[in-house]
Amino acid sequence: MADNQSAEWTAVCEKFRLAHELSEIESKKDPENNPFRSKYKARDLLKEIHCSLKKDFEEEGEVDNGADSESSHTVDGEPGNDFGKAYAGDSPAGLRVARLAVLQYHLGVNHIETEELSAGEEHLMTCMKLIDKCTTTRENVSLFIQARNQLGILWAGRDEIENAQGFLEIAESMYLLYMKEDGQPPLDLQDFFVPEGEESSQQEKTRRFEMAYTHTLYYLAQVYKNLQQFERAGQYCHSTLQRQLEYKQFVPLEWAINAATLSQYYITKTRYMEARHCLAAASVIATLAGEIPSEAAAKESEAEFEKREELLQKRAEIARCWIKYCLNLLQDAKKLLEDNVGELDSDRQEELKRARRNEEEEKEKGRKSAILFGSSDTFDSICSLEEKVSSMLPLEFEEARGIFLVGQGYVAQAKEYFEMDGHVTDHIEILQDHSALFKVLAFFEEDMERRCKMHKRRVDMLEPICKDLNAQYYLLICRQLQFELAETYYEMMDLKLAVADKQDQPDVHTIKKFNLLCSSSTRYYQMFLDSVRSPEGKFPEKLEDDLVRPALVAKFRVARLQSKLISSNPASQLENLSLSLESYKFVVQYCEENPEAKNVVETELELSVEMATLLPLKINRIKSTMASAN
Amino acid sequence: MASVRVAVRVRPLSQREKDLSAKVIIHVNGHKTSVLNTKETGEPFGERGKSFSYDFSYDSMNSTSPNFVTQEKIFKDLGTDVLQAAFEGYNACVFAYGQTGSGKSYTMMGNAGDYGLIPRICEGLFHHISGVLQRDKASFHMEVSYFEIYNERVRDLLPSTETQGCELRVREHPKDGAYVEALSKHHVQSYTEVGQLMHEGNRRRATASTGMNHVSSRSHAIFTIRFIKAMFDAELPCETVSKVHLVDLAGSERADATQATGIRLKEGANINRSLVTLGIVISTLADLSIGGGIKRKQNFVPYRDSALTWLLKDSLGGNSKTIMIATISPADVNYSETLNTLRYASRAKNILNKPTVNEDSNVKIIRELQAEIARLKALLSAGNQSPSSQMVSFEQPLGSSVEERLHQDEARVQELTKQWASRWKEIHNILREDTVALRKEGIGVVLDSQMPYLICIDEDLLSTGVVLYHLKEGKTSAGTGGTEPEQDIVLHGEALQREHCVFENQRGAVTLVPLPGARCAINGVEVTQPYLLTQGVNIQLGKATMFHFNHPQEAAQLREKRKSGLFVSSDSTAFSVDTFSHFRKNRVSATALRDRLTRSPV
Repeated sequence: MADNQSAEWTAVCEKFRLAHELSEIESKKDPENNPFRSKYKARDLLKEIHCSLKKDFEEEGEVDNGADSESSHTVDGEPGNDFGKAYAGDSPAGLRVARLAVLQYHLGVNHIETEELSAGEEHLMTCMKLIDKCTTTRENVSLFIQARNQLGILWAGRDEIENAQGFLEIAESMYLLYMKEDGQPPLDLQDFFVPEGEESSQQEKTRRFEMAYTHTLYYLAQVYKNLQQFERAGQYCHSTLQRQLEYKQFVPLEWAINAATLSQYYITKTRYMEARHCLAAASVIATLAGEIPSEAAAKESEAEFEKREELLQKRAEIARCWIKYCLNLLQDAKKLLEDNVGELDSDRQEELKRARRNEEEEKEKGRKSAILFGSSDTFDSICSLEEKVSSMLPLEFEEARGIFLVGQGYVAQAKEYFEMDGHVTDHIEILQDHSALFKVLAFFEEDMERRCKMHKRRVDMLEPICKDLNAQYYLLICRQLQFELAETYYEMMDLKLAVADKQDQPDVHTIKKFNLLCSSSTRYYQMFLDSVRSPEGKFPEKLEDDLVRPALVAKFRVARLQSKLISSNPASQLENLSLSLESYKFVVQYCEENPEAKNVVETELELSVEMATLLPLKINRIKSTMASAN
Repeated sequence: MASVRVAVRVRPLSQREKDLSAKVIIHVNGHKTSVLNTKETGEPFGERGKSFSYDFSYDSMNSTSPNFVTQEKIFKDLGTDVLQAAFEGYNACVFAYGQTGSGKSYTMMGNAGDYGLIPRICEGLFHHISGVLQRDKASFHMEVSYFEIYNERVRDLLPSTETQGCELRVREHPKDGAYVEALSKHHVQSYTEVGQLMHEGNRRRATASTGMNHVSSRSHAIFTIRFIKAMFDAELPCETVSKVHLVDLAGSERADATQATGIRLKEGANINRSLVTLGIVISTLADLSIGGGIKRKQNFVPYRDSALTWLLKDSLGGNSKTIMIATISPADVNYSETLNTLRYASRAKNILNKPTVNEDSNVKIIRELQAEIARLKALLSAGNQSPSSQMVSFEQPLGSSVEERLHQDEARVQELTKQWASRWKEIHNILREDTVALRKEGIGVVLDSQMPYLICIDEDLLSTGVVLYHLKEGKTSAGTGGTEPEQDIVLHGEALQREHCVFENQRGAVTLVPLPGARCAINGVEVTQPYLLTQGVNIQLGKATMFHFNHPQEAAQLREKRKSGLFVSSDSTAFSVDTFSHFRKNRVSATALRDRLTRSPV
C-alpha cells in the first residue's frame, strides 16, 4: 500500500473511478423498473476495494474493525479534542485509516441511496469511528464533515431530529475550528483514490469543501425547522443561499425562486428590508437564466417552448412575491395608522413620523450588512432594484402611492403569464391582490370621492370575473369574490353617505346612487348566502365550521343594508324594515339552535338580539303614521 | 359543501412480517389509531405510544375478530357519500395514501369476490343509472380517463394515437374547471368496460422494483369518471356534470421525501446535489410562520408540488367531497413508515383547508348600530311623552337625529380642517425647493419661483400632487425616455416619442423645439418649428400630455405693464381663458389647488 505507484494501486484507483462513474452518471440512465442497477454494481466494486485494502491493513496489523468498537451508536464526541487519538491525521497510517473511512463513507451513501438505511447507517458509523481515531488534519476534515452530514440527514429522515442535530452541529463547529486554525484547502473525498499527481487543484478542493459545509448549514436549516426554531432555520436558509452565490454553486432560476420564497418568510416577520433584498436578488439572479426564447422560436422546438414557459412562469412568480411585499408593507402601515374604526389616525401619523425621524439609521445598516447577498457582478444591480421601492412602512399617501405603483407594475407583469385562459386560479389570486392594493391605498386617501373611485376600480376588476366563473369548480373563489364585492359596495355606500352628509340636502341623484350601492352590496351578500344552500335550495340547518362566521356576518350585514335603504314612501320603508327584521331574527335564531355559533359572532349576535326587539317599535311607528295619514 | 374526511385502515400481518416474527404495534379504538414505539428510545418510561384521531379508524387486522372492518363497511361509510355527490352534480375525490404493501390496492380495488371501493362506486353509479332511467327518463353519459403524474410530468395512461408518449399540460378553464389538455376520454357503458380500461392503464403505469420492494408506485395516478346526466326538468332541458377522481398517490416512502419531513431526497437526486430541496424548506418556513394563530398575512409561496396542488385545487376549491384513505401495516418493522403515514393523514385536513373568506372588520357597523340602538331605547323609555317630535326623527331619511346631525357637522368641520392642514403640508413638501417658495397670504398659498417652469396636468388616476418641471438655463429634453443620456423630463402618454422635444432657455427666453415627427401644440395650435413660449400658454405633447407654462419674471413684467396701462390684452393666446385659468396669475391658492386635485380625472 505504501507504494502508490504499484500496478495494484493503479487498479484500485481505476476501480474506484468506475464505481464513482456508475454511481453518479450511469445510474441516471437506469431503467424505471430497475432504478438502482448501477448503484448495486458500484456497491460491489466498492466492496472489492474495501476487501483488498482491509487485507493489507490486517497484514500490517494496524487497524481493528471500527464497527466492533464499543462506543454507542449515536453519541458523538466534541471536535478538536485530540486527546487519546491513535494516529496523526497526516501520518501515513492516518492516511490509510482515512482511505478505509472513505470507502465506508461511499458504501454508506450507496446503501442509503438504495433505500437500505440501516446498512447505510452502519457503514457511516464505521467511517466516523475510523476518523475519530485520527487527529483532525486537512487529510480528513472534509470526510469528518461529510460523514456527519450524511448521518444528520439519515436521522432527520427517521424523525429523530435531536440525533441529526448532534451530528450536524459538530460538523458545523469542526468547519469553524478548522478554518480558524488551518484553513488550507483540505483533501476532497475524490482525492484519496487517484494516481499521484491527479489530485484536484487547490481551487477545486476549496470549492468542494465549502460545498460540504454549505450542505451542513442547509441540513441544519431543516433540523431547526423541524425543531420549530423557525428564526434560526430562516438564518440558515439565508446563509445557504448566500454561500451558494458566493461559491457560484447555484442554478439561477432555482436560486431566484428560493430567494423570492425566503422574502415571503421575512414578510411574515415584518422584516421588510430583508424581504426586499431577497426579492431584488431574486429578480436579478433570474435574469442570469438567459434570454426568454421568442414565441416564434418556441413554436419551432419543444425545448425552446419549455424554456420559454419556464422562464416566463418563474419571473411571473417572482413578480407575485413582489406584489405580496408591496401589499403587506401597505397593510402593515395601515394597521399602525388606523384608529378604532379603521380610519387614518392623524395623531398616530404624526407620532410615527417623529419616531421615524429619530430612528437611528445606524442600526439598520448594521443589520443590513449581515444579510447581503454578496457577489460583485450582481451586487450593483441588486442595489439599484432595491432603491425602486421603499422598505419603510409608508406614513402618508404619497409614500403609500409609490409602493402601490410598484405593486401595480408587478401585477401587470404577473398577469402576462398567468392569464385567465389556462390559469384561472392564479389569475384571480393576482386580481384579488390588485384589488387589495387599491383597498389599502384608499385608506391613505383622504378625499372621499377619490377613495370611492378606487373602490369602484376594485368592483370593475372583480365583477366580470365573478360572473364568469363556474361555482361547481371554483366555489371557494366565487365565495371570496362575492364577499369582497359585497364589502366593496358597502364601503362605497358608506363613502357616498359621508359625502352626501356634507350636502345640506342630498339630491335625488345622490339618494338613487346610494340606494343602488346598498342593493348591490346586498345582492352579493345574498349570492354568497345562496352558495351555501343545498341543490334543492334549502339553507342548511347546521353550517360547516368555516362558514358559520362568514354566513352569519353576511346575514347581519344584509339586515343592516335593508334598513339603510332610503325611501320616502312609508310602504316601502315598512317593507325594508320588515326584511331587515327578518334577517336579524335569522342570526338570533341560528345561534339559538346552534349555540356553538355564539362564540364566533358574539358582538354581531348581541346587536342582532337588540335590533330584533327594537325594530318592531320602529315598524309600529311607521304603521301608525300610515294609519293616521289615511 | 367542500368537505374532507380522513380515514385510516390497518391491514393484517403479511406472511413476510410473520416470518420475521414481527409484533403488532397498532391499536384501533373508536376514531383513534395508536402506534406503539417498540424501539429503544433511551427513556423507557417516556412517551412510547402515539395516538391520532381521524374521522374513521378501521381495524382490518384480523378477519375473525368481531371488530374486523370489511370492504362493505368502508363502502357504506365513504363510498355512498361519493355516489351521493356524483348524483347531485358535485365533484368527488378519493385519495389513497400509504406505504407500498400496506393494503392500498386492496382497499381501492380489492380482489375478485371481495371488491374494493372503486368497483363498488362504479357499480353504484351504473345501478343508479338503471334506476333513474326508468323513473325520470333521464339519459346518462359516462366517460373515463386515466393519467399519471410522474416527476411532475403528466402522461396519458389510456393514450390515443395523438397522446401516445406525449407530455400533457394541466390547465384551468373558467367554466369547465381544471383539465388535462388533450387527454383522451373513453365512453363506457358498464363496469366491465371501466375495469378493463383501469387494468390497461395500470399496466402502463410507471412502477419500479428495488432491492426492498417488488413493486413500488412512483407516480400519482388519477382515474377520472365524468358523469353527465341530461333530463327535462319542467320541460326545460338540464344537464349536470360531475367528476369523480380516484387518486392513488405515489408510495408514501416517496411522497414522504417531498412532503412529510422534506429532508429526504428527490428521486434521482443524489446527496451532493440535494440542495434542490432547499426550496421546500424555505417554503415551509414561509407557510409555517403564518399558520398557528389567525391568518393576518397573506403571502405567496412559489414552490409547490404543482401536480398535487392542482389535484387539491380541483377537488377542494369547488363543490366537492373529498375522502382520504391512509393504509398502514400493523407490524413493528414498519414503525417509521407507519408513523409517517399517520402524521401525514392527521395533517391532511389542515393542508387542505383554506380560509373561506377574508372579511373586513365590522367595527363601523357595530358603532352605527350601537348608536341606533341607544336612540331607539331612548325612544322606548321616553314613551309617548311627545310623540310628534319622535315621529320626526323617524322620517329623517338617513335615520339620524338632529343632534346627531349637528354632531356630524361639527365632525365635518374638524375633518375639513384636518384635511386642509395635511394637504397644505403635502403641497409644501412637493414645492420645497430652493427656487420655489411658498408663502401663506391670507387663506391662500402663494407659490413664488423665479425660474420658468412647466406644470404638469396629469391624467393619472393616482396623481394628487402637482408636478413642476423647472426649465433651467440651457436645454431641457423631454420624451418617454430609455435614451442615453436619459431625458430630463420623462413622460408617459399616447403618441409620445422617446425623444419628443427640447425646451431651450436662453437667458430667460424659453423656446420649444419639437423634434422631427413629434406632435406638439401650443394653445391647441400644432407647431413643428421652434416656438418662443410666453407666460401662461398651454402645451400639449403627444395626444394627452398637457403642461401649463409659467414664466414668473415675464409675468411680473406683464403685471407692471398692466399697471402702467401699457399692456393691452391683445395677446389672447398667451392668456387664453381656459380650464387652467386659475394659474394665470401665477398664484395658486390652496383652495384652488385643492379643487384641481380633487377634480383631476380618475
